[in-house]
Amino acid sequence: MTFVLSLLAEILHIGLMIAVAPAAAGVTCWLDARLAGQSGPPALLPFRDLARLRRKTPMAIESVSLVSRLAPAVGLGVTLSAAALVPTFSLGMALSPLADVLVIVSLLTVARVAHALAALDSGAALPGLTQQRASALAVAAEPALMLTMVALGLMGGSFNLDLIIGQQREGILLPAAASAIVLTAVLALAFADLSAPCRDSDQAFGAIDLALVRATGWLRRLVWFNLIGALFLPVGMANAESGPFAWLVGLAAWTIKLGAFLLVVAGIRVVAGGSPRNILPDLAGVAALLALLATIMILASAGTA
Amino acid sequence: MNDPILRFLIVDAVALLLLGAGTSLLPQAICGLLTATLCGLSALLCLPPLFSHAPAAPLSVPVGPPGLSLHFALDPLSLFFLLNLFVAGTAVAAFQSTVVQPARIHPTAWCVAGTALSLLAADGVAMVIGLAVTCASAGYRGRRLPMLAPALLLGAVCLLTPSGYAPRFDAIRAAPIDSDHATAAMVLTVAAVGALVWPDNSERCWTRDALTAGVLIPFSSYLLLRLIADLSAAAAQPWWGALLLLAGGAGSVVAAWRAAALPDIDTAIAALLARQAGLAVIGVGLAMTARTADLPAAAAFALDATCLTALGTSLAGTLLSLSAHTIGTSAGTYRLSRLGGLVHAMPGTSAALSAGLLTASALPPGLGFAALWLSFQSILSAPHTGGVLSQLPLALIAAAIALSAGLSTAASLRVVGIAVLGRPRTPRGAGAGESPSTIRAILLLLAATALLAGVLPGPLLRLLADPSIDALTSLPPAQGFGLLSLAGASPGYLIVPLLALLTLAVGAAWRVPRQLRKPAKPAGPWTDGMQPPIGLPFGDPAAQSSGAGFLPALPEIALPRPPPLPSLPRTRISATFPGLWLLLAGFAALLLALAVVG
Repeated sequence: MTFVLSLLAEILHIGLMIAVAPAAAGVTCWLDARLAGQSGPPALLPFRDLARLRRKTPMAIESVSLVSRLAPAVGLGVTLSAAALVPTFSLGMALSPLADVLVIVSLLTVARVAHALAALDSGAALPGLTQQRASALAVAAEPALMLTMVALGLMGGSFNLDLIIGQQREGILLPAAASAIVLTAVLALAFADLSAPCRDSDQAFGAIDLALVRATGWLRRLVWFNLIGALFLPVGMANAESGPFAWLVGLAAWTIKLGAFLLVVAGIRVVAGGSPRNILPDLAGVAALLALLATIMILASAGTA
Repeated sequence: MNDPILRFLIVDAVALLLLGAGTSLLPQAICGLLTATLCGLSALLCLPPLFSHAPAAPLSVPVGPPGLSLHFALDPLSLFFLLNLFVAGTAVAAFQSTVVQPARIHPTAWCVAGTALSLLAADGVAMVIGLAVTCASAGYRGRRLPMLAPALLLGAVCLLTPSGYAPRFDAIRAAPIDSDHATAAMVLTVAAVGALVWPDNSERCWTRDALTAGVLIPFSSYLLLRLIADLSAAAAQPWWGALLLLAGGAGSVVAAWRAAALPDIDTAIAALLARQAGLAVIGVGLAMTARTADLPAAAAFALDATCLTALGTSLAGTLLSLSAHTIGTSAGTYRLSRLGGLVHAMPGTSAALSAGLLTASALPPGLGFAALWLSFQSILSAPHTGGVLSQLPLALIAAAIALSAGLSTAASLRVVGIAVLGRPRTPRGAGAGESPSTIRAILLLLAATALLAGVLPGPLLRLLADPSIDALTSLPPAQGFGLLSLAGASPGYLIVPLLALLTLAVGAAWRVPRQLRKPAKPAGPWTDGMQPPIGLPFGDPAAQSSGAGFLPALPEIALPRPPPLPSLPRTRISATFPGLWLLLAGFAALLLALAVVG
């Protein structure tokens, strides 16, 4: 029975991710516009975009290889796998034994690499140069993210995400100062990742492939939200074996958290404006230093404890 | 059962030496095929004692001055690295038999023979002689740095040998070792490993690159494990781990940075593989840190990571070097900015190259990611005592491993994205042809083996490496086959279910939109929405990324210039084959050292 419940929770979670990712993107754009005093696009516009792109006739460019045809599906599939491993409303889902934090951040890297390969495969100048810059940014950002996950693993005594969240819920993810520094680093990395320009590299795709790439971007944003929410604000999360009523409570808590996240992100965008492209490497570098500082603090405090 | 196998392996090494010396008497192809056959047979013979966990069987060969003989033995650690050696040797020799290249000696045969002798050695003399042969063959064209390695290793062995004894490994293990001597031996061993594996771009030579990648880098892991984790373990100091971690971390980051910056495909790949040697040093450093704190489980994680790194380098290193040579020969250039579009012209070679890069970098589901995960698991289980100063190396090494992984991803992306994908950048590159079927078969077989090893790292470790790791850590043998997880404790890195999830998700993302999409319309290449230049109907290929901007710009720091040093007289070895001289000089120095220490 426990396995059935955990499997049901997992299926519900994956369905939720697929459905909510475009909606969250639409709500973010709508909030951006509303906070800037404009009427804003409809919140469900991303769904319409997907339907519109599906209807378009794809172009089979002669010079591209199988990599370009596979990359959108690989990017979406890998990001969906990462999304399936990060819990939203319930812990102990069927895939929770696979939810290793190092695996999750590496899956996000694989998705980025798949899109970069497709952009380079197109042979066009702009997508290739954009991916070149994205790679330079990732050289600092991805190790920083991995180091933050190592710091969390050192605090939790395991790299399993469910175990780390469980310890955070019980308030034993110590030291608190290191936890706060890790949160700051993750927020900086999320901001750098989500602010990175992708329109130029989108030129390499069209029609249904572009729809897949857009969906991957929305899903990636949701993975960031879920990761930050589950790791640092695991309020109201249910256990899979607790049953549907507890899941509903978890869902309500997750919806509130997601809404608050979207509001905060839109508020930051309105207040700070668009982040200049040239500050993103500095942001990733600062996040890396913060992650290193947190790791040193954790190791040193473990030694003196 | 070990005795006949040990005898065969020694005879095999001698036969390879003779074969290498007799290259001028036999056609190159036959010489290569014979070498490949001998290596393949030896690889198969390594499997029974590995699987049966048979105890070591020593053998004395009365060669040398009166009263001294060379000692050989087969233990699990030797067997694991012998298997790696012979697999790589088989691939390189088979590849070599298909290309025409004039050579005074057969470098593959000599290199494999020397390394096999070193791996089989149960005393310092045999090990140094084998290493001298290896270095003579691997550095036979324009590479002088490896020539230092035998001398450095000789010094390390002499320092470890107790006074009044022959430099046998069992005597070294049994006798108490002075801690200063052991520390000096550790430093010399790390220096020897650095001299052995650091890429030297003085002259392009694909055989040397392939042998360095497939043979020397895994062999350097063996040297570290044998001399530091095994023979010097009793005299290990707590700070050894920190020293090894800092050396390995710096080496892996610098090598990975070079891999993402160097302009040629072969030098970039050589640097990417040199990073693996840094990771091996890190693994041994983590193991020593854990052992001095009496944490065998953490040491086992680190040694597992080292063995996986060696296995991955042996497979992927050989594959990448051979692929780079095939591409460079076919496309007429090794310069990344002049390659491109090879996925159309050389699909098989391109696929093999990509598989090798997946194994060498740190992306799931490759073997490199499994090693990375084990390294972090070792840091997690390492002793967290002693305050900030003692914990600082662990924190720095976690950052170095992560940075090195990020850089290796950037380097791999750059090589595949620039050389394999996109459009051809030169007419010569556009005219590149696929490699012959024999070469393609060798490359694809190596690629399949590397990918399979990435999917099944747990069973591979359990079958091939665990006996030696158990011996080094004094842990009881683990039960079961570890089919799903690398770690014994659940949850771990469960690669098989993860791969099933990825297959399902990617399959769904591939199939479902295909059901909905309209039939595609053929179109020309995308030229950023503009008319293509006159005379270039498919767009200007030079407008593509040239691979120069895949790294972030480093801040410029104005350092004071050091004063110019007076020029020293440089002596050049006039002989064309300095390795033999080195061999003789090394042996003479060893005898002298033995005479001095009694």
